[in-house]
Amino acid sequence: MRKWAAVLLLALAAGTVAACGDDDEGGGGGASDSGGSDYKMTLIAGVKGDEFYITMNCGAQEAAKKIGATLEFQGPDQFDAAQQTPIVDAVAAKSPDAILIAPTDTKALFAPITQAAQNSKIVLVDTTLDDPSMAVSQIASDNVGGGRTAGETLLDLIGGKGKVMVVNVKPGISTTDQRGQGFEEAVKGKPGVEYLGQEYSQDDPAKAAAIVTATLAKHPDLKGIFAANLFSAEGAASGLRQAGKEDQVKIVGFDAGPKQVEDLEAGIVQALIAQQPAEIGRLGVEQAAAALDGKETRPEIGTDFEVITKDNLAEKQDALYKPSC
Amino acid sequence: MSARWQRLATGSTTWIILILAGLIVAFSVLEPSSFSTVNNARNLATNAAILLVVSVGMTFVIITAGIDLSVGSVLVFAGVVSAKAMNGMDGDGAGVILVGLVVALAAGLGWGVLNGLLITKARVPSLIVTLGTLGMALGLALIITNGVDIREVPPKLVTGIGVGRAFGEIPWLVLIAVGVAIFFGVLLHATRFGRHTYAIGSNEEAARRAGIAVDRHLIAVYGISGLLSGLAGFLSLARFATTTIGGHATDNLQAIAAVVLGGTSLFGGIGTVLGTVVGVFIPAVLENGFVITGVEAFWRDVAVGAVLIAAVYLDQLRRRTQYRD
Repeated sequence: MRKWAAVLLLALAAGTVAACGDDDEGGGGGASDSGGSDYKMTLIAGVKGDEFYITMNCGAQEAAKKIGATLEFQGPDQFDAAQQTPIVDAVAAKSPDAILIAPTDTKALFAPITQAAQNSKIVLVDTTLDDPSMAVSQIASDNVGGGRTAGETLLDLIGGKGKVMVVNVKPGISTTDQRGQGFEEAVKGKPGVEYLGQEYSQDDPAKAAAIVTATLAKHPDLKGIFAANLFSAEGAASGLRQAGKEDQVKIVGFDAGPKQVEDLEAGIVQALIAQQPAEIGRLGVEQAAAALDGKETRPEIGTDFEVITKDNLAEKQDALYKPSC
Repeated sequence: MSARWQRLATGSTTWIILILAGLIVAFSVLEPSSFSTVNNARNLATNAAILLVVSVGMTFVIITAGIDLSVGSVLVFAGVVSAKAMNGMDGDGAGVILVGLVVALAAGLGWGVLNGLLITKARVPSLIVTLGTLGMALGLALIITNGVDIREVPPKLVTGIGVGRAFGEIPWLVLIAVGVAIFFGVLLHATRFGRHTYAIGSNEEAARRAGIAVDRHLIAVYGISGLLSGLAGFLSLARFATTTIGGHATDNLQAIAAVVLGGTSLFGGIGTVLGTVVGVFIPAVLENGFVITGVEAFWRDVAVGAVLIAAVYLDQLRRRTQYRD
């Protein structure tokens, strides 16, 4: 008798946690403030704990509230296709009206997203796929331009010559591939500049730190680092600190998370290229709603970026990423 | 009550099946139109298939009172060398794919046999040996690929096995996983090899004195684990069209959890393949169900861990009452 009760309790417990979670997501009923769209959307981030996607979610939640839609937020523990796929499948099973997703691989996510597209409108935010034909819109920063600006900024900081390297994430991510490409365009062929190439941190700050300390061991006269995303920039800065070379090496990082802003204020990082994730989130919700309303959508939207330095930090507070909404 | 029914009613597998059924019922009641659909079931099974293949191998190892921590790394290594082999050949037809499969299996078997040799001949505990090969296999995979995922895979492999279905309904990945489970289930439960496996797990010294070639048998068992990890690496390559180097760091723990959830004792001598099949599905159903019911992403990890402990605790309760008489 006790055993049956225990099994029942277990099932009830799982169910209760699930039900409680449901309420927290604001999915309680269809009563909306303004308009009557009542759309159900889900935002699938590339990775859960990244302030870039959290800020994107904040912007998207605001936009959703304005039109009376509900938006859920999901994401894998690591920026990896094998981990994101089951989540995409589960979200697809709910058949939400629209799915906003940042695919973690330009190829591997094609099949699951195509399947999800059968019942939901797809908006690709931040990253994209090799074949984005199933999406109603792709929204991302101009990452090539951002990479180029990062390259020019870094060259300015190191006085136009010296050894530079890129700490990138991993190949197959459209956004960071483009940033690396833009950076290379800016630094290749410049006299006096030795480009050491790209190293991959696998979106792990610890690996990024290890890459930087190893490179410093091999090239003690390294002058500049471009870190192509949030985790890479965090790790690169801590690697520099570990090696004690903060004064000698300049870092330009992509993304403006709280840790990176701290590094900026401490003088370890010299410039941050901030994207506009909240804007991307907002536009994503708007495009999805437009598609659901039967209106025309913009197949590609590019958002801007800003260069943040210690000097202009005070004015650019709005451009910083948030750890929570 | 006849002996067989009595054994069934108090069997560990029965209880774990009931727990899984309880979870499925709970989620079906909460989200009938999303959770209990053919598509969702199909996706769930596909996502669980690769872990199931690995876990079947792990079942054998744990029944012998050993452990294999290297499965995730061997999976990645096998996928890497298989992809390299296939890309190094001309064309991308069935012949090339077959070569890729053989290479993956051989690579997995090689690591498995190495594990077995070190454990039996060098007398190093399995925990340490497989911890070492975990590092070595992954490290070699990173060396071969330079840390960068290989993203060229024969398209026929992806469309045929990766996302293809038999009879238009059942994914090939699921069929292969089921086939593996049936084959090795029969091997474990109905052959002398299986009986010897249980004997060695129960009491290694007694098995040795009874005339069982324990060392040779253990090498075979770890070989099976490696072989199945190699197969899983090949299947992962087919599914994601990329080697997903970073995505298998916790495969070993997930496989161990699945095997233990299924009623296999970490102390050896007890366990079933059917239990492992159910054990693979419990975390998969939890993840899938929580995403569908909208539980916030971070709560999922908490819940899966809690259910794991609860399920094994229930099994321990049952075991204690069973042996009390």
